[in-house]
Amino acid sequence: MSSNLIIWIILAPLFGAILNTGFYFYHIKEREIPQRLFSLIGTISPMIAFVFTLILFLDMKETGNTYTQDLYTWLSVGNMNISMKLLADNLSIFMSMFITFVGSLIHVYAVGYMDKDKAFGKFFAYFNLFLASMLILVLADNPVILFVGWEGVGVCSYLLIKFYHGKKENVQAANKAFIVNRVGDFGYILGLITLFFAVGQGDLSFSSLEANIANASNELLILSGVLLFVGAMGKSAQIPLFTWLPDAMAGPTPISALIHAATMVTAGIYMVARFHFLYEGIEGVGIYIAYVGAASALFAAVIACKQQDIKKILAYSTMSQLGYMFIGVGLGYYSSGLFHVFTHAFFKAMLFMGAGGIIIASHHYQNIFKIAQHRVNLPIISTTFLIGVIAISGIPPFSGFFSKDAILASAFAEGEYLIWFIGMFTAFLTAFYMFRMYFILFVAPNKNVGSPYVYTSKTITIPLAILAIGAIGAGFFNLPEILGGDHFVDTWLLQLNSKVLHMSHLTEWILMVLSVAVASAGIFVAYKKYANFDVFNPEKEDGLIGNKFYIDEIYDVVFVKSLQRLSVFIDKTVDTKIIDGFIMGTCNQFILLGKKVAKLQTANVRFYAAFMLLGMSSIFVYLFITLGL
Amino acid sequence: MSPDILTFIIFLPALVAFALMVTTKNVEAVRNIAFLSTIAILVLVLKLYLSFEPAAHMQFVTNVPWIAEYGINYYIGVDGFSLTILMMIAILIPTAYLLLWEGRTKGYWINMLLVQTGVTGTLLSLDMVLFYFFWEVMLLPVFLMIGIHGTGNKVFTTIKVTVYTMGGSLLMFLAILYLGVTYFNEFGVWSFQYDKLTEITSLNHSEQMYLFFAFVIAFGIKIPLFPLHTWIMDTYKNAPTGAVFLLSSIMAKLGVYAIVRFMIPLFPEVYVEYSTFFVFLGLFGLIYFGIAALKQDDIKRMFAYSSASHLSFIAAGIFSLNSYGINGALYLMIAHAIATGALFLIVGLINYQTGFKTMSDLGGIAKTAPVLTFVFAIMLFANVGLPGTNGFVAELLIIFGIYEFNHTLGYISAFTVVIGASYMLWMFQKAILQDRDGESLKMPDLKIKEIIGFIPWIILVFLMGIAPELFMNKFEPTVTYYLNDILKIGGLN
Repeated sequence: MSSNLIIWIILAPLFGAILNTGFYFYHIKEREIPQRLFSLIGTISPMIAFVFTLILFLDMKETGNTYTQDLYTWLSVGNMNISMKLLADNLSIFMSMFITFVGSLIHVYAVGYMDKDKAFGKFFAYFNLFLASMLILVLADNPVILFVGWEGVGVCSYLLIKFYHGKKENVQAANKAFIVNRVGDFGYILGLITLFFAVGQGDLSFSSLEANIANASNELLILSGVLLFVGAMGKSAQIPLFTWLPDAMAGPTPISALIHAATMVTAGIYMVARFHFLYEGIEGVGIYIAYVGAASALFAAVIACKQQDIKKILAYSTMSQLGYMFIGVGLGYYSSGLFHVFTHAFFKAMLFMGAGGIIIASHHYQNIFKIAQHRVNLPIISTTFLIGVIAISGIPPFSGFFSKDAILASAFAEGEYLIWFIGMFTAFLTAFYMFRMYFILFVAPNKNVGSPYVYTSKTITIPLAILAIGAIGAGFFNLPEILGGDHFVDTWLLQLNSKVLHMSHLTEWILMVLSVAVASAGIFVAYKKYANFDVFNPEKEDGLIGNKFYIDEIYDVVFVKSLQRLSVFIDKTVDTKIIDGFIMGTCNQFILLGKKVAKLQTANVRFYAAFMLLGMSSIFVYLFITLGL
Repeated sequence: MSPDILTFIIFLPALVAFALMVTTKNVEAVRNIAFLSTIAILVLVLKLYLSFEPAAHMQFVTNVPWIAEYGINYYIGVDGFSLTILMMIAILIPTAYLLLWEGRTKGYWINMLLVQTGVTGTLLSLDMVLFYFFWEVMLLPVFLMIGIHGTGNKVFTTIKVTVYTMGGSLLMFLAILYLGVTYFNEFGVWSFQYDKLTEITSLNHSEQMYLFFAFVIAFGIKIPLFPLHTWIMDTYKNAPTGAVFLLSSIMAKLGVYAIVRFMIPLFPEVYVEYSTFFVFLGLFGLIYFGIAALKQDDIKRMFAYSSASHLSFIAAGIFSLNSYGINGALYLMIAHAIATGALFLIVGLINYQTGFKTMSDLGGIAKTAPVLTFVFAIMLFANVGLPGTNGFVAELLIIFGIYEFNHTLGYISAFTVVIGASYMLWMFQKAILQDRDGESLKMPDLKIKEIIGFIPWIILVFLMGIAPELFMNKFEPTVTYYLNDILKIGGLN
């Protein structure tokens, strides 16, 4: 029975999406439908998915089984066989659990956030569709069905970023997200194909790729490992394919919370973990992944220190945290990386949702200085925001501390001291820029005394409160032994063959203390600089960092402008002048020739007679010679 | 089912056209009757599709003498390849009628009917002369449509496209004659049946090569392959919607189809020998046309490049010499016909309603026409090969096929994932989504009739993407037969 349940985890939100689409069209074409119906369908369907996932989880915890559901043969061509098959193993259920849980909360939140929006129904149709795609991604039993979900979340992200499509910038941001992700997909598909042919074709599923991996040469495995990671770079916004993520903040805030923080962007980490059997054999690629992660973590954290848009700061912090996760999975500590995915989902979703509440309350300002200038009193949001800021900064016992520390410790244990150092420094920066934002938003003195209290809808505050509990407590799911924990997440994800941390308790303690010290230092610096900052005299977003190292400008010149120029050159010069010019030129030669020949038509009968004579005598001569008459 | 069903399917539209020509002047009556006849054909083709036996080769064959003294026969039949394309044509045309419903003349509808006879005849002909006959016949109504109903410099456009395609056809005709004469010299009787012509053994290698290229130039102009493409830009831009739809969704595919149908059996060695060249040419076209499409302002002109890009990719798949590539190419023909067909028809509708056809003039359509935008978006994502739609299955298979053919070219082929998305989304943004500068357009939404027309297409887009095996079953055995028994490459299945 449990195996038949898997498909319903996906179908619940999918039906939600279809129903909402239908009702939405009815709503705009025929008769108004109350908003309540959309919110009901929109929020119930992810909850159903969560309940089904929970049932499966409890069953699997009890029995230790994993389940697969084979639906039908999707495609069978040549030597390739792809089944439409779903897989509920510990990894995919781990992912589904927090996706459906956090997802449900964000859906509830969106009811309040999107209240009275003209396209309320459309929003929930897209949102449900996103959740269904994300669940396809994690529950797929083979890399092709995974890719269906992978692109499905991409297209939902596109649709939601351009949700207010009247404004050109929004659509451009959406296009950018989709196309940059497609560059990643280019890598994913090639990585997949390389791997598939390297293992000698056959069944295209994770299990058979794993079983036949010994057939493949090491070079091809390395190649496919790198190419697959290119896909992850796109989806999880790592250097160099990260530019879309900050721009993606053009969408409504619940989207930033669910898609661009909690779930979709972690797909790259999930995918690398899913292909752990590949990456185990090619440690060099793993180290490369860890370095890319470390570089992205640092790079994004540096930029975040200068940003002023509340959502962009959070976006860069997401990129930075994703970098940490890649350090974990790159070095082979898959469960540590995924544990950070898990805790991050709670506190980052909460931060984004808090940011959304702040933006609504402050009349849609997004600049933190502007918000501070028009500060309002938001007791619940400011509390949850503080919890989130502490969690991400890595202060125990909040969840971010445990998951980030596990990753840093693994880098140290592997002897990758440079990565460890970058990670520590980034932790310092993280604490700094997050508290910079917090101090400016809520603490820095404001001349307008007595900020007015603003009521925040219950659908916004209740999810925030639940997530706050998660942000505080989620760390205890994977408490290390020295703190008396039982490594629940590590044990649950045993199938991934993650490396186990081997270090003396003393070292572990020292590392922990160090990382707390570093985070505290970051908070202290932020406190000194911003706790008494004059918000009416804001900083400027200038210099190399303020301009995000001009990466967008460089990409624009190198890729966009040059391709556009090439496009015009091909159309106007190569095609029109050279190729068509040649062809039309040939035609014109024929026309000229025709005109010359036409001159022979003099309408002079004696001329014609002369031509006839000439022609006939030639024929006679020819016949005389050839036939010998 | 009687084999005459094919003859009936081919000639019904032409008969209806002639009957209408002499009986009525009422445009609406002409249109309605023409539409009904396309529905009748759809029903017949559907019956044929369901009763088709995938494992058997050529079916429903009719072979009777036409011009007996030269061995020219009325020889038609259907196999997995042509069946799938036949089904596609039968589904596409009625919807096109629904989308072109308003504001056409009697001649327009008559031409549409004649084209259907032309393309179906081309598709089902197995005698080379008969094939040539239909190949020419199918173009004449299109020339008329461009010349009479086109825009801009339509006379010049008509002449250009005529000379271009006739030039190719001339080469093909000479090649057919050469083959016929060679057959006569070798066997002492005349025949132009393609399966008889494959028995020729007296052609030396260079003769085979010349003939092969004569055919491929004719087919390549229609597809179009680089550098035989310069006719399409002006044609797509100036031709009326119906003609562009026919050229891009149906006739271009017949160019690819003809390569499979005739070139593989007739010149298997040359086909294999030059496969690398053509895969390369196809991939070059994919990227070249894709880049050229990026900066177009006229939507139809952009589609000209976009179609050329996709069809080059299909051609690359056809030459990849394995079942992934060829099955994928056939699948992409169908997927592309549906997606591009729909996009063209919608763009035609927008042009008809607003009078604009460049991206810079359009905009804000999503606001007033949400259903139209919804259909447009589905077809757009099918066109860029989004997983879950038919375009993905096809593109994935072609990339697999080209990778198996040659790893380096395989890596190049994956550029298809990036290129299409770029220009399509750009167009979607400027023409449909973002608000227009100046006053907004009064673009009415799709009418019920038009929505009903698109529903089968939308179902197909997703069904072919979610359960491709269902459709692949019908033609995969034919592909296997071509690979194992004709090209003798084997190894697969």
